Amino acid sequence: MTAVDETLGMPMDDDAAEKALARRARLTAVATPVLTAIGLIATWEIGVRAFGVPSYIAPSPSEVATTLVTEFPQLMRNFWPTLFESVLGFVVGNVAAVLIAVAFVHSRMVERAFFPIAVFINTIPILAIAPILVLIFGAGLTAKVVIAALICFFPTLVNMVRGLQSVSPQALELARILSATKSEVFWKIRLPSSLPFLFSALKIAATTCVIGAIVGEWVGADVGLGALIIDATFNFRSALLYATVFLSSGLSVLMFAAVSIAERMIVRW
Amino acid sequence: MVPAASLRNAWVKFGQFTAIQDISLEIEAGAFYSILGPSGCGKSTLLRLVSDLIPPASGDVSIFGKTTEAARLAREFAFVFQDAALLPWRTALENVELPLEMGRSRGIQIPVSDKSPMELLELVGLKGREHALPHELSGGMRQRVAIARALVCKPKLLLMDEPFGALDEMTRDHLNLQLLKVWEETGVTILFVTHSIPEAVFLGQKVLMLKAHPGRLHEIVDIDLPYPRTTEVRDTAEFTRYSAYLRKLLEAC
Ligand SMILES: Nc1ncnc2c1ncn2[C@@H]1O[C@H](COP(=O)(O)OP(=O)(O)O)[C@@H](O)[C@H]1O
Ligand SMILES: [Mg+2]
Repeated sequence: MTAVDETLGMPMDDDAAEKALARRARLTAVATPVLTAIGLIATWEIGVRAFGVPSYIAPSPSEVATTLVTEFPQLMRNFWPTLFESVLGFVVGNVAAVLIAVAFVHSRMVERAFFPIAVFINTIPILAIAPILVLIFGAGLTAKVVIAALICFFPTLVNMVRGLQSVSPQALELARILSATKSEVFWKIRLPSSLPFLFSALKIAATTCVIGAIVGEWVGADVGLGALIIDATFNFRSALLYATVFLSSGLSVLMFAAVSIAERMIVRW
Repeated sequence: MVPAASLRNAWVKFGQFTAIQDISLEIEAGAFYSILGPSGCGKSTLLRLVSDLIPPASGDVSIFGKTTEAARLAREFAFVFQDAALLPWRTALENVELPLEMGRSRGIQIPVSDKSPMELLELVGLKGREHALPHELSGGMRQRVAIARALVCKPKLLLMDEPFGALDEMTRDHLNLQLLKVWEETGVTILFVTHSIPEAVFLGQKVLMLKAHPGRLHEIVDIDLPYPRTTEVRDTAEFTRYSAYLRKLLEAC
């Protein structure tokens, strides 16, 4: 009886040991970058204090943190417009890219006609085209959305075309044997098989659309994180500048996380 | 009785290249045919010709007296590929149901097996794994899903292109027995391409031996071994005799 208990007990212990090991590995994976970041911030704080760097050149992390709290209402007032422009640009740019990708896959002619134009537009630096767009659409919301959309557009177009073409030849032969129509092949085979490609593009777009919105605000705006960055820079309010930059990257992280969660829920294979 | 498939002087060409040269052949309804031949001799091309994936350059192909296109639209045949060709985002059950969804908007009449998709999965030994995604299944299990999917529209002719070619021997033997069971239960005609002589002998009532350069029919060998066949049949003298004979034929190709 004791012998049986022991043999039964053994794998359980092994299991527990393995789980503990896995937990430690996960903990190390999280702890390493966090500790590194804390270390860097501490070095920065100490460096700024030790060398007496003036605050308008490089504020200390504690100053930035204080500003984040004291200027929170102002930061938020500028955060929402940028979030709105980013999300709108993300939606517009990606929807356009997906629709055009579908047209490209559907017709070689359309692809031949428009792909070179898409490549050309993509080669223009966003910083160079932003003023043009602000001139065309004015200093309002539209220009920022267009810039954010433009920056999302190309990676999604290219990935989506590849995704729609990624169907295995055998799946297409199967569809043919089943006498499937073109639209059935599209909805039931091509579109689902493009989703992993689409999501890798959306993850890029999630962060670049924020860049687009901010660049748009630099050129012409009086609200938004981009406008606040310009304002804080010209007024030598470095702590506010840093806090704004911090919030901008927070916005990117937020967008990225949202897309990643959606991906994990949708692409389960 | 109307033959399951009938080829009359059928040729297939890819540009200048002749893949199939003048094959005339009648496939008896309800029978199990194995197809053997050196690689590149046109075995896959023959199945693709029968399944209306490629047209003949000349000659005639009919399935149960209909054109291949009419037979395709009536779902009289089904195809099982070497890699199961499952849709990775669909569960086993949803993959089996795919043929019931396709072709609907074309307005074709889709025949339905007396067995539900669930029961078909049970027939191929996948009870309990209905809701697994393909990547959660082994290669053998995926191939069984593909077989269940092929049966869901109650085909009269089943075309199989080296379906077990990528599987290990144990799994393959097991699936061979299961396939014979399916054949006996459904009465479907089977054309089964393989590159394994023992597999061809074990499964088939007849073995079609093809020849390469250009692809043509070499010989039809009747396998007079009784059904139901069990693994022991492989140890009999007749089995060895058939295998030896086919090996000689294959070497002569
Ligand atoms: N789509 C195609 N285009 C050109 N040649 C092809 C095509 N499909 C098959 N072939 C050629 O036809 C011959 C027979 O091919 P296949 O039927 O696949 O052979 P098997 O299945 O017997 O190995 C091969 O020489 C192959 O290269
Ligand atoms: Mg082949």
